[in-house]
Amino acid sequence: MEALVGLLTGFGVIMTPANLYLCFLGSLIGTLVGVLPGVGPLAALALLLPVTFTLSPVGGMVMLASIFYGAMYGGSTTSILLNIPGEAASVVTCIDGHQMAKQGRAGAALGIAAIGSFVAGTLGVIVMTFCAPAIAAVAIRFGPPENFALMVLGVVCTLFMITRSPVKGALMIALGFLTATVGIDVVNGRERFTFGSVDLSAGIELLAVVIGLFGVTEILSNVEATVKSTVVAERIRGLWPTLADWRASWRPMLRGSGLGFFLGLVPGGGPVTASFMSYAVEKRISARPERFGKGAIEGVAGPESANNAAVAGSLIPVLSLGIPGNPVTALLLGALVIQGIQPGPLFITQRPDLFWGIVASMYVGNVFLLLLNLPLVGLWAQLLRIPYRVLFPIVLLLSVVGTYSANKNVFDLWVMLGFGIAGYVLHKLNYDLAPFIIAFVLAPLLEQSLRQSLAMSPHGAMIFIERPATLLMLLCSAGLIALMLRPLPNTKGGRL
Amino acid sequence: MGPAGACLAPRTRTKPGDQWFAVTEMFERAVNIFWVLLGAAAASYAWTLGIIGSSGPDSGLFPFVSALMIMGSGLVLLLQPRDAALAPDFPRGAALGRVLGASGGLAFMAISIPFLGFAVAGFVTMIILLHTIEKSGWVFSVSLAFVSVAAVDWLFGRVLGMALPSGPWGW
Amino acid sequence: MRNPRIAFVFLAISLSALLATPAAAQGDGAKADLAKLKPKDFPTGPIEFTVVYPAGGGMDVTARLLAKHVEKWSGDRIVVNNRTGGAGMVGHAYLATQAKPDGYTVGVIANLMWGDAMLRAQNRWAYTDLEPIGYLNSDALTWVGPTEGPYKGMSVRQIVALAKDKPGTIRAATVPGSMWDYILDQVEANTGAKFLRVPFQGGGAGINALAGENVDIAQGFYSEFRGLAEAGKVTPIGVASSERMSFLKDTPTMNEALGGNEYLWNVIRFVVVPKGTPADRKAYLKAAIEAAMKDPELVAEYVKAGVYFDPKLTNAARMETNLNEYAEREREFYQKTGRLK
Repeated sequence: MEALVGLLTGFGVIMTPANLYLCFLGSLIGTLVGVLPGVGPLAALALLLPVTFTLSPVGGMVMLASIFYGAMYGGSTTSILLNIPGEAASVVTCIDGHQMAKQGRAGAALGIAAIGSFVAGTLGVIVMTFCAPAIAAVAIRFGPPENFALMVLGVVCTLFMITRSPVKGALMIALGFLTATVGIDVVNGRERFTFGSVDLSAGIELLAVVIGLFGVTEILSNVEATVKSTVVAERIRGLWPTLADWRASWRPMLRGSGLGFFLGLVPGGGPVTASFMSYAVEKRISARPERFGKGAIEGVAGPESANNAAVAGSLIPVLSLGIPGNPVTALLLGALVIQGIQPGPLFITQRPDLFWGIVASMYVGNVFLLLLNLPLVGLWAQLLRIPYRVLFPIVLLLSVVGTYSANKNVFDLWVMLGFGIAGYVLHKLNYDLAPFIIAFVLAPLLEQSLRQSLAMSPHGAMIFIERPATLLMLLCSAGLIALMLRPLPNTKGGRL
Repeated sequence: MGPAGACLAPRTRTKPGDQWFAVTEMFERAVNIFWVLLGAAAASYAWTLGIIGSSGPDSGLFPFVSALMIMGSGLVLLLQPRDAALAPDFPRGAALGRVLGASGGLAFMAISIPFLGFAVAGFVTMIILLHTIEKSGWVFSVSLAFVSVAAVDWLFGRVLGMALPSGPWGW
Repeated sequence: MRNPRIAFVFLAISLSALLATPAAAQGDGAKADLAKLKPKDFPTGPIEFTVVYPAGGGMDVTARLLAKHVEKWSGDRIVVNNRTGGAGMVGHAYLATQAKPDGYTVGVIANLMWGDAMLRAQNRWAYTDLEPIGYLNSDALTWVGPTEGPYKGMSVRQIVALAKDKPGTIRAATVPGSMWDYILDQVEANTGAKFLRVPFQGGGAGINALAGENVDIAQGFYSEFRGLAEAGKVTPIGVASSERMSFLKDTPTMNEALGGNEYLWNVIRFVVVPKGTPADRKAYLKAAIEAAMKDPELVAEYVKAGVYFDPKLTNAARMETNLNEYAEREREFYQKTGRLK
């Protein structure tokens, strides 16, 4: 039970006024950053990194870590209220969360999102506490073939997000893949589809696409109508989730936690992938999947739990092995190095105070965040009462700044606008937009791991069958596809 | 309704024979043709990048397959009979004006930020949008624009320390 | 001067335990000298240190440590900004073509910029568009081997011999289009070995793959493999430098292992300003960086990261000439290997 001893050490380290304060401060900043569209944890961490120079290593890391998972709490707020994702991991929450808001149930959606985040975050830390080194030892063996199989599973899950014409859905997925190839091919360094433009050679910025496709499209759609004056047409009905909501949500929360934690472990996984895979799973498992897209609370509970659990999952390789799985954790590692601390497998034995201090702070941080976010639910719900004509220019400004914050490049604003207009038109033409984003996010890693796998394999494509984990995941994907093709009881047949 | 769209606009049920219906049908067809052309162009470009290289798939494979899928889907959509119940209801008249206005406002902002800086560009854009699109009064527009731009500038520029583009006056 | 994020930062600092950094030994004399060089109206705002790689990586950490000390010595505010994309290409192009040469933009880059300038810039810019104003440190590319599996404990010579006997079976992590590839090319050309190359986005990713037994050898820099090496998951087997590293005394150089003198690949980190920056501002920035680099604290932090200081470049007077000499040598390599016509 050395884990418990370690944890107690950690609590001892963190229960000082200074460290508690920093944990709270980080949670606050994280929530704020999550709420603001565009500015995500990465931007916030990069901006606040110099502040940690003057703090103790524990204090600095605790603050940075709490900003990271705090952002996953706040991200759902604008998704639910305004249909504008706070960051990429909250895109899926828009789908059902905003519908719930329009039905006057914003409070319930926000509440379930906060509680789901808490449950997932806490469960994630508990698993971290007891199993981190063991899990890390397994996670490190995840190589390109496993990544590929995981991405294939992700793409298959995307198929579940297609609510309208399958042909149009497939087209959106293919378009997402194609758009993701713009830029430099990481495998051999060649430029693709850049036509000599330096801006394009960096690739198309995900944030600009997300804000454009969801935020700007939403604004344009709303501006079109004059009938309504506020975002929510109906009266706001109660601020808290009902018992029925709880009954519907607790299982998605648990499933989302498990799925998210696992996906956070693998490099290239992380909160974004976790959120929409959870959505797909919930929709597939549900007895009444036709409710999804119209305000099904499972579509909020699952993804919001998943993205929080993914944060805990992604911290395991960082703290146990010194291996970052995504840019945010890479930054956390950089912060450690600047403090003069060497991350790696010996980190836990060389600096148990720091390791367990960070782990302990996550328990505390999740509590802080729950206490912060739940009361805010009422406040946020009132936001919907503001007349839209006042709200929309502010939202527009925030979208512009949020997009700009990614690369400080005005080119991204044009990308945002372009995708916004395209999204508006495509939405009118009955295309699903979510599959595009998901494909866009998955494509780079899908392609890279495919080519890496084939490069490292002595017998070509056989590598996908030789490795057990890969084979298992590929079989799951095949199984899911088979399930999809079998007609569900209430599909409208024959409509392409 | 689907993922990203409020669609609380009154759906003007377009009927076959309606002139607007014909316009939207042409538009849809044009979009489908666009997909086919886009797919074909991308596929040929991808072909020049190379499909199979010395050590497996080359740069062009992935885009090539995706482009073919786009082309194929576009063809299927072109050949399908059109479902009148799903005709898109594009905005007309004042609604169209508002949509174009909002897009124009964003475009204006993107163009002018490098020259005027975020604060001024945002201020001007917001006034235009508030006054022309939402038909708010001058006083309301100017004051709301000022307050919002100042608030966003304070939040991002000062509190978060992010450098927003500044205009010729230094802010 | 703009007051940054005062509310949060002030509270954070005032209530937290301060890790007091000991006062540097140099004292006020150096600071006064630096102040004398400061141009009259410069700087009136924060100076941007542009890093072309993602936050948290080796280059980023180097830049942030430098920024911290330059701030200390000059009293000016420095903001580190990551302009990433295209494996550095986007940032390099920005510095060379878009950044205003007014002294407010300073690039903290590496010699990998030369490859971008010569092979990929397509005549839009040249490496001479960026003028070096200070040398930071160098890092030698190191071959890293496994501690488990069939190849554990083997030396470079043994692995290369195996790669020759059974071509295409030894999986080597590489970063396409850069020195990772070049050294493999050299080894293969000289010894007849043939590796199975697995592409990654950076040295670190390859080393992580090695620890997970997904490749057989990897290449990277000390800061990238140190954590795993100390824990016994990987082990350095060859350094591509002219002498052994003081912190890797038992690791032979590649030249020792394979003979000859051409396995010399390292990352040189230095600071540049865009061409056309006014001379007085350039001189001031140069002096500020020099002052920071003399600070024993900064030197100690760099040394901990496992870098070395190239004597040809530490002499400020000869730095630019010698850097350009290195650049031209790289151009010759590209011409010799047919990458550049």
